[in-house]
Amino acid sequence: MVARLLLVPVLMVAAAILIKGYVDVGDGFAAGVIAALGILLQYLAFGQAAVQQALPVRHAAKLAVAGLLLSLVVAFVPVLAGGAPLQHAPAPGAEVVHLGSLELLTAVLFDVGVFALVLGMVVATIDLIAGTPNERGGQP
Amino acid sequence: MATAAVAFVAMLAVWLRGGGGFDTAWLPSWDARLAFRLDGLGALYALLATGVGVAVFTYATAYLPRHLEHEGRPQVEGRRFHALMVLFMVAMVGLVTAQDLLVLFVFWDLTAIASYFLIGFDRQHREARLSALMALLVTGVSAVLLLIGILVLRAEFGTTSIPALLGRVGRGGPVVTLAGALIAVGALAKSAQAPLHFWLPRAMAAPTPVSAYLHSAAMVAAGVFLLSRLHPLLASSELLLDALLVVGLGSMAVGGLLALGADHLKRLLAYSTIAQYGYVVTMLGVGGAAGAAAACFYVLAHALAKSALFMTSGAVTEATGAKHLSEVGGLARALPALAVGSGLAAAGLAALPLTIGFFKDELFFKAAAERGPWLAVAAVSSAALTFAYITRFWTGIFLGHGRPARPVPRRLVAPVVVLGGLVVAGGVLVEPFASLSRAAAEVTAAAPVAVDPAYHLDLRAENVMALATYAAGLALVLARPRLGGALAAVARLGQRAGPEHIYIASLAALNRLSNAIHDIEVRDLRARVVAVLVPAGVLVGIGVAITPFAGAYVVGSFSRLDLPLVAALVGCALAALIVTRLRRHLAMAVGLSGVGFSLAVAYELLGAPDVALVAVLIETLMMLLFVAVFALLPRRVLQREAAIPVTGSRRIRDPVVGVISGVLVLLVVWAGFSRPTPPDPTADKYLELAEQAHGSDVVTVILADFRGLDTLVEISVVFVALLGVATLLRRGKLW
Repeated sequence: MVARLLLVPVLMVAAAILIKGYVDVGDGFAAGVIAALGILLQYLAFGQAAVQQALPVRHAAKLAVAGLLLSLVVAFVPVLAGGAPLQHAPAPGAEVVHLGSLELLTAVLFDVGVFALVLGMVVATIDLIAGTPNERGGQP
Repeated sequence: MATAAVAFVAMLAVWLRGGGGFDTAWLPSWDARLAFRLDGLGALYALLATGVGVAVFTYATAYLPRHLEHEGRPQVEGRRFHALMVLFMVAMVGLVTAQDLLVLFVFWDLTAIASYFLIGFDRQHREARLSALMALLVTGVSAVLLLIGILVLRAEFGTTSIPALLGRVGRGGPVVTLAGALIAVGALAKSAQAPLHFWLPRAMAAPTPVSAYLHSAAMVAAGVFLLSRLHPLLASSELLLDALLVVGLGSMAVGGLLALGADHLKRLLAYSTIAQYGYVVTMLGVGGAAGAAAACFYVLAHALAKSALFMTSGAVTEATGAKHLSEVGGLARALPALAVGSGLAAAGLAALPLTIGFFKDELFFKAAAERGPWLAVAAVSSAALTFAYITRFWTGIFLGHGRPARPVPRRLVAPVVVLGGLVVAGGVLVEPFASLSRAAAEVTAAAPVAVDPAYHLDLRAENVMALATYAAGLALVLARPRLGGALAAVARLGQRAGPEHIYIASLAALNRLSNAIHDIEVRDLRARVVAVLVPAGVLVGIGVAITPFAGAYVVGSFSRLDLPLVAALVGCALAALIVTRLRRHLAMAVGLSGVGFSLAVAYELLGAPDVALVAVLIETLMMLLFVAVFALLPRRVLQREAAIPVTGSRRIRDPVVGVISGVLVLLVVWAGFSRPTPPDPTADKYLELAEQAHGSDVVTVILADFRGLDTLVEISVVFVALLGVATLLRRGKLW
């Protein structure tokens, strides 16, 4: 029960760490691991079948691919525009576009890619391991 | 097929417009450039690779579906085959047009890799896999010598650009000779020259189109191409040229004799290829204008004839199911078009008049006769061998009595007829071929070259030698039945004591060594840890012993503010000690995470909150994963494992190894901390720049911006790890 209650707060903390990564401790990697921890807890508490029903975990690998692609795009689009790889916009010293108190930076977008990859990778791995048949026949 | 045709037309168009190329920066720090130019030599080989490619690809579209059917494999595999063939063609064109040795080397290895997969295409056969590996090892290991040669040249002359290099070599010297020798060994192995010839007959395990392409006009041609490309460099040393001469003559003799004795259709042709490239290498060894002209023309004439003959053997096997000369015969009636087409190609190889082959021998004899009488005799005898084995090949298949044959599809015959037609066309109208090889020979000899093959109805040396060849060849054909025993003895001798035997023996020895190390290293998890710790400990111990002790191992000051840090580290050490005493799995996992959490506290106290955060998260994740995996494992397995007593050598070995490696690490870290840290300007710079990059958490800014490329590579590794897990647990299916 506690595990179920914990999931939403855990994901919120992950999102906060991800977004605040540029001004405070934490980054996409940490956020991804936190979110994955929340989901791993669900596996431990309810077993694979229940989690697969409640959460879209079968898309985890796709999320990982999407994250990798997002990071690659952020890294190499500047090259197409004639810049260096990972040349982030806005440029140093330029005005940052705000959305409320959120600063829109391509570097954060890159971090979102890292987040998606890490979350997808860990959840997919957990799902793969949990799906291995064992001697007891059932799932934990 | 269409790809090859387009490529061929493109090459032809560029060549007729006077050549062309481009040149862009590649590795500025190495001064290596992506430079390509279609000069005379490049055009000759590129046109061969794409032109013969058109014929072979056409042939393959008919051959491969039947081949896959015979082997009981799905037709989709054909796509893989064609993709590899195209990759090979691209690599070959890149190789022959490259103007930079490093670029050339990249393509060189690319051809080797493509050929590995092509030779091993029938991967369900052990023989095919072994042959592919042999071809890869022989050409790959010798390619390392080639690379060393290139690097020696770079170290000496400061460039890898071929034109610049040839300009600077001048009169040569011992360094140039050394580099030339290394490069020549790589090239000769690629061209299957004795004594590194043994991989080629084995490579006949490949499907026929592969042999017809790689082993007549492309892969093996790459070796003599490189020798031609760098000929001015090789020519600076008489020694190298003489060595080429010896290798060429040796290959001619070995290949010719083995071909005369061979029974397996494709192997006969493979031996013939060894001998024929032996001619080319001999000519390059003779050098000069005449040698260059003969070499270039020879490659052209041989490639046309030989790929037609390879395709003939495939079509014959398709029609009769037979792979040996002794099992076929009398096919002229059943397959008249094939008989004519391959007859023309065989006539070309045997150098009969009215074929392009006559001119190849004319130029060859001319160059040999200019060098001296003994080479003229050698040339005539190996040409006679060629005449004999190729006559035996053709008459053995198409004349006499034989079994009935199935009809073969037209696309298996048409390429042979077209190439056979070209062989005759070259014998009648030689000028287009001559001009192509003239341009190539001028690059090789780095001087104007005259290639004027023509028929002369007089008793000049070349004609006399040709007549002598025919006579000796006919005599050999007639005497062949009585020579069978002797030829078989030669082949047996080669197998018993030849280089192939050495190769197999050394491979077996390497395997045994590897197995022995493997046994020591990975018997169980502890053995593996020991195998890492002991060599690392020895290295670290040497490092500690030879470093001066002065200034190291300073005992620093200690203030009360350090107390929490010390407490965290003591906690860490205690947890580690406790883990060694634990037997139950879950308890060990908890103990290990205790170590990790204590370290995380230490990070936090040292003022590295980002690292501490990641450490806490990873420890939690690992802990939960351990719990999850233990839940998956059968309980009695865990209980049984936990009850196994610590016995024997482990009681002593493990603590000793652990203590020694721990002490050495302590020494190294202590010594490292004793030295004053040099102020790091980049750290301050990062702090300063983070502000400009719109961030205030410098660690994140470094990860996402300053060192973003590192992060990119690391997350790619994370993804590869996921692929690995999926491969292990679900055969690579991610979803």
